[in-house]
Amino acid sequence: MSILIDENTRVLAQGLTGAQGTRDAEFCLRYGTKIVCGVTPGKGGAEVHNLPVYGSVKEACQQHQVDASVIYAPPLSTKEAVIEALEAGLKLIVALAEFVPRHDTAIIAAAARENGAVVVGCNTNGIISPGKSKLGAIGGDDPSEVFAPGRIGVVSRSGGMSAELSLAIKRGGLGVSTCISMGGDVIPGNPMVDYIKRFVADPDTDAIVMFGEPGTKAEHEVAAYLRTKACTKPLIALLAGEFQENYPKGVSFGHVAAMINDVEDTVSAKRKMLSAAGAIVVNSLGEIPIKIQDQLGS
Amino acid sequence: MFTLTEDLTKAFLIDLGLPVPQGLAFDKSGEAARYAETLGGGAVVKALIPTGRRGKAGAVVLTDTSEEVNTAAERLLGTEVHGFAVEKIYVESKVEICREFYLSFSLDSFPGQILISSSGGVDIEETHARDSETVIRGDIDPIQGVNKKQASFLWQKAGVTGDELAAVVSVTTSLYDAFVKADAVMMEINPLVLDSDGAVSIVGAMLAIDENGLPRHPDWAEIADGSLIASWRKFNARELSVSEANRKIKGGAVRYTELDGDIALLVGGGGAGLLQHDMMLAIGGRPANHTDTNPGAGIEEKFKVTIRAIFDNPNVKCLLVSFNHQQLTHCARKAQPLAEILRERNINTQEFPIIVRLVGPGEEEAKEILEEFPGLTYLPFDASLDDAVRAAVDIRNAMENVK
Repeated sequence: MSILIDENTRVLAQGLTGAQGTRDAEFCLRYGTKIVCGVTPGKGGAEVHNLPVYGSVKEACQQHQVDASVIYAPPLSTKEAVIEALEAGLKLIVALAEFVPRHDTAIIAAAARENGAVVVGCNTNGIISPGKSKLGAIGGDDPSEVFAPGRIGVVSRSGGMSAELSLAIKRGGLGVSTCISMGGDVIPGNPMVDYIKRFVADPDTDAIVMFGEPGTKAEHEVAAYLRTKACTKPLIALLAGEFQENYPKGVSFGHVAAMINDVEDTVSAKRKMLSAAGAIVVNSLGEIPIKIQDQLGS
Repeated sequence: MFTLTEDLTKAFLIDLGLPVPQGLAFDKSGEAARYAETLGGGAVVKALIPTGRRGKAGAVVLTDTSEEVNTAAERLLGTEVHGFAVEKIYVESKVEICREFYLSFSLDSFPGQILISSSGGVDIEETHARDSETVIRGDIDPIQGVNKKQASFLWQKAGVTGDELAAVVSVTTSLYDAFVKADAVMMEINPLVLDSDGAVSIVGAMLAIDENGLPRHPDWAEIADGSLIASWRKFNARELSVSEANRKIKGGAVRYTELDGDIALLVGGGGAGLLQHDMMLAIGGRPANHTDTNPGAGIEEKFKVTIRAIFDNPNVKCLLVSFNHQQLTHCARKAQPLAEILRERNINTQEFPIIVRLVGPGEEEAKEILEEFPGLTYLPFDASLDDAVRAAVDIRNAMENVK
């Protein structure tokens, strides 16, 4: 198994007719993702990769069984596209766009909670259950080079690092159950701790690897969850961005979300907090497979 | 995030019909004094800088005549306050102050927060530390917004009643609408003033704007770029050139911040850049800059501007070009601009060490593009980010030993 997506997940692509949507969908289809149709407002009746395109999500859902939506809309249209998918009853949405205004991301997060749905993103390259399915650009045109199927769950605040973590896992002779780039925005659609809980509940995930950054309370929520002792699987945490502590607060060198507003939001504070709560905190990619092997005793 | 100066903040609020004292910005004391005449002579004169705590720094002056406005303006213009040069002053009509309140909205996490206090005017952080009960906090539901019911509940909790309550509640909901409309991540109104007739006036106002919202505010976009600041200091010419290219060329994004080391970093994306920077410091390397990059149509041009900035930085001794495994962007799209600038600048790659870790689609092509540069190290596919950083620091240390 895996979390969120597998070989049976039926996917709708909002913005399939755009350049990014068309290219990404081609790679996804080749990888095995079951994309069943596309939606682009005003382009109902078109066809891309032999898939029908509808004018609205509602219309598409009347014609097809759909489990998830991947959204290629531009930043200023992403909020509307997410709301449209939620209103059509979809419970898994991957919203890829970067530069979505903060107020829009807050509305997306609130609407996701209200509808009991998972919104991955915004500002993500997607999610992948290796060997089964992927949504978004994650893995590019040859995901197998980086993502091997296996039993390690990965959640990362950085899209690029989701590949590096999975590559380190693969080089250590292990593989990934599902890898989630949760999105680099200040307000993600779904909090990091939720993915970790899903990995804990997944019988085919043995250990979890997370990548954290400065800024936001994502890692605090994970630490709070660990303190409840509900996390029954080893959690390995790599955090980067300690150097930012050498500079005044309010500076971001990477993702907008990586801006430190509070001493508690620094990487060194988060490392301490996660470690005290029971996570295995590492400082380099190379240590990840070694710590997993240690924990799983293989 | 960038902070709007008081004149722009207040002009925005006035346009929305909010009660803000009449005021204008000036860069000449004579013009400021003449304007003060139209306000009745006396006025408040403030240094126009994008930061708070001006009162304590002596950068807010109450005057009674236009001559005093002239004197205050002459004294403030050309000085430096909290590290910002005072190039303009803001002249505003005086307001009768009967009561002072504090109000702010912030969206730096989910859910956003509203903070109010019936004892505004002073440094709110000190008030909060001394007596946290005077500062009332509430979560904001982004779908509902801050409505009359919530505003009324919070102000009553802060001890405000009767006509005063009706007045502050009404301005609170209007200000929240303005906060959303501005795509602000922070709005601070301090003080929010009531005069003896019970009329509300927005005397202190600060807005910090979300850069992702700037496409909805074209007037502010230009200001954000030109006036900014790596948050703790102004951009230097090289940083400014990258920032300008970033705005003017469509597609993709590059951020470039100079630091005081000698190993230039052309790294990304967000997370992989942070990780490599940390690792470099951990093994004794000193980055000359940090970069963050996002792929997109204009990325080659933006890379060129960034690489030129790197070579223009006199402190740079070697260069690390290292990215996370490229999942979608062709590696050649990073190698090509590098090759072009190396040729343009006639960089002797046998004397100027360059370490490249570019893996993923297009890797072979990228290698071919960079083959013509002797001495340039293109790391093999199985080299990790850890290895790339180590290679760069080792080569920098070796240079030191030769000398």
